[in-house]
Amino acid sequence: MNPKTPRRDLLLRTALLAAIAAVSPLLMPTKIAAEILICAIFACATNLLIGYGGLFTFGQAAFYGLGGYAAGFLMARFGLPWPVPLVAGLLMGAVSSAIIGAFCIRRTGIYFIMMTFAFNQMIYYLAYTFRNITGGEDGLVGIKRPPFGLPGMKPLNLDNPTYFYIFVAAIFLVSVLALFRIVESPFGRVLVATRENPRRVASLGYSVSRVQLVAFMISGAFTGLAGALYAMLYWIMPIDAVHWLSSGYVVFTVLIGGTSNMFGPIIGAGIFIWLQGFFSTLWARWPLLFGAFVVIVVLFVQGGVIELFRRLAGLLGGRERAGAS
Amino acid sequence: MSLNLVCMQLLNGIAVGMLYALMAFGLSIIKGLLNIPNFAHGAFYAVGAFVCFSAYERTGSFWLGLLCGFVVSAIVGMAIEKFGVGKLLASAYLFQLLLLFGVALMLEQVIILVWGTTGNSKSPPEFLQGAVDLGITLYPRYLLFITAASAAIITAVWFLIEKTKFGAYIRAGIDKKEMTQALGIDIDALFTLGFGLGAGLAGLAGGLAVPLVGVTATMGTDMLSIAFVVVVIGGLGSIYGAIPAGLIAGIVQSLVTIWAAELSTVMIYVAMLAVLTWRPQGLLGER
Repeated sequence: MNPKTPRRDLLLRTALLAAIAAVSPLLMPTKIAAEILICAIFACATNLLIGYGGLFTFGQAAFYGLGGYAAGFLMARFGLPWPVPLVAGLLMGAVSSAIIGAFCIRRTGIYFIMMTFAFNQMIYYLAYTFRNITGGEDGLVGIKRPPFGLPGMKPLNLDNPTYFYIFVAAIFLVSVLALFRIVESPFGRVLVATRENPRRVASLGYSVSRVQLVAFMISGAFTGLAGALYAMLYWIMPIDAVHWLSSGYVVFTVLIGGTSNMFGPIIGAGIFIWLQGFFSTLWARWPLLFGAFVVIVVLFVQGGVIELFRRLAGLLGGRERAGAS
Repeated sequence: MSLNLVCMQLLNGIAVGMLYALMAFGLSIIKGLLNIPNFAHGAFYAVGAFVCFSAYERTGSFWLGLLCGFVVSAIVGMAIEKFGVGKLLASAYLFQLLLLFGVALMLEQVIILVWGTTGNSKSPPEFLQGAVDLGITLYPRYLLFITAASAAIITAVWFLIEKTKFGAYIRAGIDKKEMTQALGIDIDALFTLGFGLGAGLAGLAGGLAVPLVGVTATMGTDMLSIAFVVVVIGGLGSIYGAIPAGLIAGIVQSLVTIWAAELSTVMIYVAMLAVLTWRPQGLLGER
């Protein structure tokens, strides 16, 4: 396998991602489209751990929530320029995932999963307890989207849905391209190798735990960034976003889209947001329908649905698929 | 702050800790046998609590309520294993996790559908009401009962696992699955029964909690988090690690309540951090 991705593939990929971002708002309300792109960043970041690192995290919502709270707090209390809350969300995600990751990656398998879950709930109860910062159960309210401006440009009001969508789409494009770049880098190859055969990787002189920790941090950083965007989306950061169920939803999103490349989670995000919206219009008890859907998918159509989307993702991802899986 | 208060909170902590231990013990058995983190464990606890509540209210017998809570949770657990988890043991691990996630989502909503979103409470049966004089302090009789009942149940399950033939099968199933199967033991049935036992213990913990904290629709989630933390503190080396870990969590939580009640839940996690810093594998974990 050629370690360098050919330029043609890079262009094709960028064009495809741009097309996804451009076509989505034509098919649905811009708000829903923006939510899908935000969820897609979250899911792609999670896929770095689940699909590439083989690290089955059930605690990714912790970083999503922390990123959202950090950004949301700054936007609600101070009128800072637009890059500040985004960078705050990103850094919050990176730092918190470095700390939590340092504990979790020391263990493998089921203990790892249970620890990620426990840390997720630790953050949840912290958010619940420190309500003067997070708003507790009521959520962090009063978030104001900062105006978007660049030097020599008239600032754009992001409360305009179209401007906000373009803003989200640009960050989506940059984030997903960066994640693609990361998984194709030498680091990404080593990460996949730690999934396949950690002992072999260690015998080649790499530190497995360091590779996994860096993956945790990268994933946490993009997750925190997605959280920051989510806080802007509805001008509120709800505590549900940091609940463990949110971690479960993102695992489902990643899995239903397919884990073998970064297009899968994007498709998964579309399916998840659409399903959630669909079920919630049917019935107030929509998680029951959603849970039943999850159970039916994993029990009866697991091969079918995953295969279907894998093929679809294969069509979209072209030759990258072979390299990633 | 008086010494009496500390003693009182210590005893409270032991009672609550025994409930946590009971809950996490069930989680440990399921984890040991099937190697899965049971995300639906909180739902089994809530099912046990609500069933116990309803049966207690209809019949007036708390004992019957506890029994119903155990039996219904165990049956629900066995059904989930038989028709869900058990069918997926050969497929990718992530599917098993997601199945449990889906089941947890469903059960939580089913509980709301059946019992509604408003909470309810019920006092303990008459002979467990009131307080006893322990010399240092007056102490609620029901909390003593929780400690004794949880200890009795855990001892009974210990006896079942360590001293009976069925227990030997379970231990064999935890240690060497293939070998157990090769010896002609029906491992599928063993998994189903083991899952039912674990779920039933969660249901019993729920039933015991009813006179203490009442029933609420969200009670399962809170307890699920605690059960996971307790198992993490206990480590995965032994299914009994959950018992000292549960006591630690309960005692830490109760003692912190004296100084900062609002931090009591968060402190359990601080205890987890402390234990993991000291022993990354948990209290009774193996390296």
